[in-house]
Amino acid sequence: MAEKILEVKDLVVEFRTDRGTITAVNGVNFEVFKGQTLGIVGESGSGKSVTALSIMRLIPNPPGRVAGGEILYRGQNVLDIPLDEMRSIRGNKIAMIFQEPMTSLNPVFTVGNQIEEVLELHQKELSKQQRTEKAIEMLKLVGIPSPEKRVHEYPHQLSGGMRQRVMIAMSLACEPDILIADEPTTALDVTIQAQILELMKKLQTEMGMGIIMITHDLGVVAETCDDVAVMYCGQIVEQSDVKTLFGHPRHPYTKGLIESIPSFDSTTGGAKGRLPTIEGMVPSLFDLPSGCNFQNRCAHVTEKCRGPHGEPKLEPVSKGQMVRCFHPLS
Amino acid sequence: MTDNILEVRNLTKRFPIKGGIFGREVGAVKAVNDVSFSIKRGETLGLVGESGCGKTTLGRSLLRLIEPTAGEIIFNGQNIVDLNATHMREMRRKMQIIFQDPYASLNPRMTIGGILAEPMEIHNLFPGKEERRNRLYQLLDQVQLPKDTLNKYPHEFSGGQRQRICIARALAVEPEFIVCDEPVSALDVSVQAQVVNLLMDLQKDLGLTYLFIAHDLKVVEYISSRVAVMYLGNVIEVAESHELYGGARHPYTKALFSAIPKPNPNVHMDRILLEGDIPSPMNPPSGCHFHPRCWNATDKCREVYPEITNESETHQYKCHNPIRLN
Repeated sequence: MAEKILEVKDLVVEFRTDRGTITAVNGVNFEVFKGQTLGIVGESGSGKSVTALSIMRLIPNPPGRVAGGEILYRGQNVLDIPLDEMRSIRGNKIAMIFQEPMTSLNPVFTVGNQIEEVLELHQKELSKQQRTEKAIEMLKLVGIPSPEKRVHEYPHQLSGGMRQRVMIAMSLACEPDILIADEPTTALDVTIQAQILELMKKLQTEMGMGIIMITHDLGVVAETCDDVAVMYCGQIVEQSDVKTLFGHPRHPYTKGLIESIPSFDSTTGGAKGRLPTIEGMVPSLFDLPSGCNFQNRCAHVTEKCRGPHGEPKLEPVSKGQMVRCFHPLS
Repeated sequence: MTDNILEVRNLTKRFPIKGGIFGREVGAVKAVNDVSFSIKRGETLGLVGESGCGKTTLGRSLLRLIEPTAGEIIFNGQNIVDLNATHMREMRRKMQIIFQDPYASLNPRMTIGGILAEPMEIHNLFPGKEERRNRLYQLLDQVQLPKDTLNKYPHEFSGGQRQRICIARALAVEPEFIVCDEPVSALDVSVQAQVVNLLMDLQKDLGLTYLFIAHDLKVVEYISSRVAVMYLGNVIEVAESHELYGGARHPYTKALFSAIPKPNPNVHMDRILLEGDIPSPMNPPSGCHFHPRCWNATDKCREVYPEITNESETHQYKCHNPIRLN
């Protein structure tokens, strides 16, 4: 059994807005193990990025607020520790890659400067010379050609794929325990995406970090993750290892998501049938229905789902598989 | 005579690069370079490629939203490149476009009714008040939106609904041909499938012809009867969509398809990892533009630009050393 490095318990995150308070993350639980990858999938607004930001304690407050729960990093609740101590964890032990490599790099500093800044903050014992050397080493590690030259270049001189490599180099400079990757390849083309995912896998094997992979792309999940949590309206609706999830999805939402991806398997060509879809749309967080959040889109909905017995709980249905549904699929 | 609704011959679009104090032309980006293809009436031609390959420029040139530098665009037997503005406007009634971003392509100050009626006003269609209203209801019905949509504003709708409104606007003038420029890329997976189904239904009911531009190969392969693959301004392979996956002859096509993550953890296919990035179209490599990333490249590829090879009537590619099929 791999070592558990992060545990999120009953996390609740609220945002105060003009129209009232919304619960963006509502009672989320998961664990991250050394050398393994946990995928968090969901559509826009499902709360996956907010979950990631709260682990880093980067939720803007106000309007946001972690209203409950614990985030245990090696047994220590990161929500309780003072901010200056948090700085020694953030970036150092828990690092994050953001979605937009175009906007998350500072355009007025060279990429070398930006990697060195991370080292300056977290590894104070290094000299200027050593920092530069380390920055070049990191760029080499993420597969940037002629790193000695690139280290002096500015972000605009690099392509999207290269910038994302720089982001990865920055986040790994301090050899973190946990890497949170928030849609790391969404802004990239498929051939570049393949390169980046391969790179992350390779670095994980070498450095043994745990990865939280946040994405809306089930293809990326299937290829990179060991465990998956599917989020819908701020809650995890299904959670299991990746093979079980794709082989036997038990929540109607998970099944619908998997089926709505066109596949190449169909050999008919040309005139194909309709794609299976999930009807309707995600309800507004301001106006969640009582009972199951998925009821208005579910094909298997019954009276029970509409709320007389409260909302469904995330319960185990088989070994290692948890589902939030009154009528899990067989 | 085959019934081609659209024939494109040697279409080229150069964007000049100006430099120096006098703003002289110092170079040019060949965004679309000598592209030829045809689209049959009632079919969907998919157009795929990575960012910067020129697929959007190509799509917009077809409607002359971007003026092509050279080449012919023959729509319904008529070369539209030389048409004057009045005649072109007339022609655009038959050719419409749906844009990628449903948030940016609807005027936030107009009601949906106003947005949908505008193209009909411009083309003077369905002039009577009663007639116009019935047409609006019919359009909403076609894209499966409720009737009270007409008095609302764009901000009241989600991304998927806005894309339906954009589709209804394109349909308003009863076009024959629609360029769909990444119509589902900005949408969530579950909504994406709904819009893809809608486009397929409309095609069947109204006999539409689509050019479907996207970077998501799975969606393109699903909706298209034929697919054209672009790389650095050139169409490098065209084939029936079921031929292309598995039967690709151009190494880039093969690599592109193998790069897509498969939503099945039990299948691990051999992935071709391409080295390096897409070169800049300002200064494309000599010979075959793909040679610096190609694992089959020879000296010939570095020097000579490949001509079109006809694999079959429906399958063409540009490569000196195509992938052998067994």
